[in-house]
Amino acid sequence: MHRRLTRSDLNELVSAAPAAPVQLLDAHRASLTTRFRAVSVPGHRRLDAWSVERAGRSSNVFRWSPATARRVLGNASLRRLATQPASVRDAVRDELGDQMLRAASGYSRSGSLSHWLASAPHPVIGLVTAEAVNWATQLQEIAEWLDATWEVPTSDAYYDVASARTTLRARRDLVVRTSESRTIVRVRSGSPGKSAGPGLRADLTIEALADHDGVAPVRYIGLWPEAGVCLSVDGTMSDLRSGARDLVRTAVAQRRRGTLLAA
Amino acid sequence: MTTTLDSSPLSVVEALRGDRSKRPLIDIASAGGLRSLLEDGIFEIIGAQRLATPLVVRTSSLHQRLATIDLAMSTPGRIRGVLIGQLLRLLSVGMSIDHAFDDAVATWRAEVGANELIQQLDALDDDDRARLATDVAAHCVTLTRALGEIPARWMPRSAVRATQRLAGGNVVLRDVVDLMIGASTSDVASIALFDVTTSPLGEGAERSMRFHALMHTLRTSVMPLRTCTFSSATGEMWIRDVDYELLARSVQDVLNSVRDQWSAK
Repeated sequence: MHRRLTRSDLNELVSAAPAAPVQLLDAHRASLTTRFRAVSVPGHRRLDAWSVERAGRSSNVFRWSPATARRVLGNASLRRLATQPASVRDAVRDELGDQMLRAASGYSRSGSLSHWLASAPHPVIGLVTAEAVNWATQLQEIAEWLDATWEVPTSDAYYDVASARTTLRARRDLVVRTSESRTIVRVRSGSPGKSAGPGLRADLTIEALADHDGVAPVRYIGLWPEAGVCLSVDGTMSDLRSGARDLVRTAVAQRRRGTLLAA
Repeated sequence: MTTTLDSSPLSVVEALRGDRSKRPLIDIASAGGLRSLLEDGIFEIIGAQRLATPLVVRTSSLHQRLATIDLAMSTPGRIRGVLIGQLLRLLSVGMSIDHAFDDAVATWRAEVGANELIQQLDALDDDDRARLATDVAAHCVTLTRALGEIPARWMPRSAVRATQRLAGGNVVLRDVVDLMIGASTSDVASIALFDVTTSPLGEGAERSMRFHALMHTLRTSVMPLRTCTFSSATGEMWIRDVDYELLARSVQDVLNSVRDQWSAK
């Protein structure tokens, strides 16, 4: 479903989600594991919606920057705001302070966000703050639009495919829970491309796999605030299967590319 | 010679926020009409065909229609503009700026890594670099004095991006607002858009102000309260309340730009 990102449209997407969630069984997990094991790779692979949208093409090597740090810090700040009311800017500063304290006390490993922040110069910290404030403010406004009760999850959803050296990651920024079901909201920069739907379905499948009981969210909503649009997919078995197929296809495409490069 | 006043005659942020009791209710009805005006206008220009590469409209596209020689579009002018934009981002979160030029360059590098404009900055000789650093410092002083402190409760966001695809992707509108304040969850119009330019204000700046307001309306479906542009060269500031007429004029600006690009193809 494609909608404009307005308060009423977002609430309608949340409230009109299917009532009963679908559940993945052990047989589904086993089937996915078999398929991933058939696409072996020498090292460990990590797949997410972005790799599905790029059809397995590798992105640039990850490095911390104000843009890559903003979501981690912004979401953590909003989580902090839910328990300690303050301004967004103060929450971001507190979060930055905690991260740097972690590095100073030796609890951060090399390559982590804390480690990078601790070595960043003063003006760069300012830019990181500005980016995180942008992200947290935007997410807070979206959350405040919601009529239903929401929470900021403590982390993204991760699922390790047993014996296939594969980790799947689904992005999630807000969770709307009822007694029986949950709806996930995911926020992305830029505007949705043609492969945004498959990306959302991949997130939906990973989120269901990461759930202990295999319960899928009833709806996965992707928001692109810069473009002012939202897309959603329902947590149906057909969408879950489609998401799983796209993930396996991405693994195949990645391996093929790796083989071509080696040749 | 650059001279600065001891104190700013006006706080930009105060002027933008204005009197809260006089703010109109949010307008969520106009966005659809404006979108239709744009879609219809683009169809009259391009027709139903699908373009391999879209026509892109930005604030700079609106300026080019007006001026054949724009000093702000020279390489030092563009670098200066980017650096002042970076300093505004730091000011928006209450960071103290010790060395305007060095701080701005450090944040710029952290944001974009390497690009053509940074290479041009690196290629400047010592004299040109020193001249640019002095220039940036002077603009920063003007901006800092006018801006004052931005309270956190006004929710300042800097470098806010917007993208709109129109006519099935044939036309893409892109925009970056330097600073946005106010909440979009209020029942009264609260969003104020602030743009800073390192050039003296002219008709191009007015088009930019309108374009920012139009893009915000299309993106959020809610009309902003005010749009403003500030010149760090002269300390001059223009503020306009946003209404349908202003947005409709911006639609015409966009259509003129699309027409120019289409006829040049």
